[in-house]
Amino acid sequence: MSFSAAKEMAPYLAEPKAMPVGSPGKTGFLRLGFELDGEGRSILRDLDRRAPLIVQQELYFDEGMPEMPCVYILSSGGPNVDGDRYEQRFTVREGAYAHVSTGAATKLAEMRYNYSGLRQRFELEAGAYLEYLPEPTIPCRHTRFIADTTIRIDPTATLFYAEIYMSGRKYYDRGEKFAYDILSVTTRAERPDGERLFREKFVIRPERRRPTTLGAMNGYDVFANAIVLTPPDAADRIWNRTDAFADDRRRLAAGITRLPNGCGLLYKALGDETGPVKRLVRNFCATVREEVKQRPMPDEFPWR
Amino acid sequence: MPMSDATTTLMRLMALTDSAFPVGTFSFSNGLETAADTGLVHDAATLEAFARDVAHQAATTDGVAALHAWRSYRRDDFDGIVGADHQAILCKLNTEARLMSCRMGKKLAELHTHTAEDATVARWLAEIGTGRTPGTYPVAQGIVFAACGIGEHELFCSHQYGAVNTVLNAALRCVRVSHYDTQRILLRLSAETQALYAEAADMDCDDMYAFAPQLDILASLHEKGTKRLFMN
Repeated sequence: MSFSAAKEMAPYLAEPKAMPVGSPGKTGFLRLGFELDGEGRSILRDLDRRAPLIVQQELYFDEGMPEMPCVYILSSGGPNVDGDRYEQRFTVREGAYAHVSTGAATKLAEMRYNYSGLRQRFELEAGAYLEYLPEPTIPCRHTRFIADTTIRIDPTATLFYAEIYMSGRKYYDRGEKFAYDILSVTTRAERPDGERLFREKFVIRPERRRPTTLGAMNGYDVFANAIVLTPPDAADRIWNRTDAFADDRRRLAAGITRLPNGCGLLYKALGDETGPVKRLVRNFCATVREEVKQRPMPDEFPWR
Repeated sequence: MPMSDATTTLMRLMALTDSAFPVGTFSFSNGLETAADTGLVHDAATLEAFARDVAHQAATTDGVAALHAWRSYRRDDFDGIVGADHQAILCKLNTEARLMSCRMGKKLAELHTHTAEDATVARWLAEIGTGRTPGTYPVAQGIVFAACGIGEHELFCSHQYGAVNTVLNAALRCVRVSHYDTQRILLRLSAETQALYAEAADMDCDDMYAFAPQLDILASLHEKGTKRLFMN
């Protein structure tokens, strides 16, 4: 999908005064390809990148699954700024597995003329397994951001794909909550033969309609969305083990449901602070790993 | 296009919008039961906030599918009807809501074919059987309303009225509110429908969106829970 087809971004098409859209350093590109090597070890075989997106190499630091390559995506540009267009492609070949995260929260800067866009493509072959568990995204005042993610997945593969969005820089100055202009996030999945599985889109325009309402954020500041595409038997086990709750005392709520076409699960969580929400999402990821890979997930590093 | 006089069309619109119309809307609470059970909805003000979010979500998802099905019927584009139907189900990310939508959609199409003749509705019903199309309720509404000669604006209003009214009817049985409260809420939400129509009428099937994580979580609680007053 081209960003230009997204009607909601139409008000934000002026050329940024600093550097035009498409300038070097504003078109981050990343291609990561994981596969099994001759000895059956999962490795990062393909790495192609363009500033400001940086990936150095895979590391094997996961104590619960030391055979799994782990990659942190970094950005040398600091926040995503006005007119940035990033693209990330992830491929996990047959039987390979990997864990991908980011080195720090993704900050989305204030924008005056244009918007910042992220296009992603995930391709998982038979039996592949990928955990995509980045740090939260923090929009700020007048941020305009669009993310468009396409997933192509074999029926035997598993993808854990999580996103966490903050209301804004809630402790900055007098507090900045839902002061951004727009967040537009679309995720869709299909089988290798083109069969469509599900499609989720949310558009938040706080100026037009506050997302703080009872049915939306309900006063919470952090929203997590985790998609698990996995075969039905694993999905059933994960669904059975995952709690749905609304706990006003702890100021946390979470729910899980099944995606259309028997393709997997959708988990949503709300909270006041990032820490507890990150823990919920990580615990959910641990359940997925246990049920799909029969391996434990270690505790998060204390500095994360 | 069957020709009928304005009075007959209006009578048909009212029958199709009536909560007693036998497709099962009466038993659908849109997650309100759980919202009341958790204490989130406990009075007229919280009920109104809940119903408003349900209305908004309905407008930018199913409302768009209904409008596209209606327009596809009018230009004799059966693939367009099937396309809107698929998009409606791909975007319906809750098991019970999907089940309910398909059950009601099929029921409405069956009712129509039993009471009137229409080749498109009959074909759509047959294609539900073959699995070519999922058979969602908004798409059934779109084509049945078009078959009855009812306009798209009326279709959208009826769709929105249905979404809000099921919540308000259910509220009378599980929230501490009076008939006066629910009618006041209905009146206020009705006055906001024109803005929703303006937005939905301009959207393509590809533009459908929703942002209601708390509603989604409530639906999930209902799916996981054991208490059942309404089917959801």
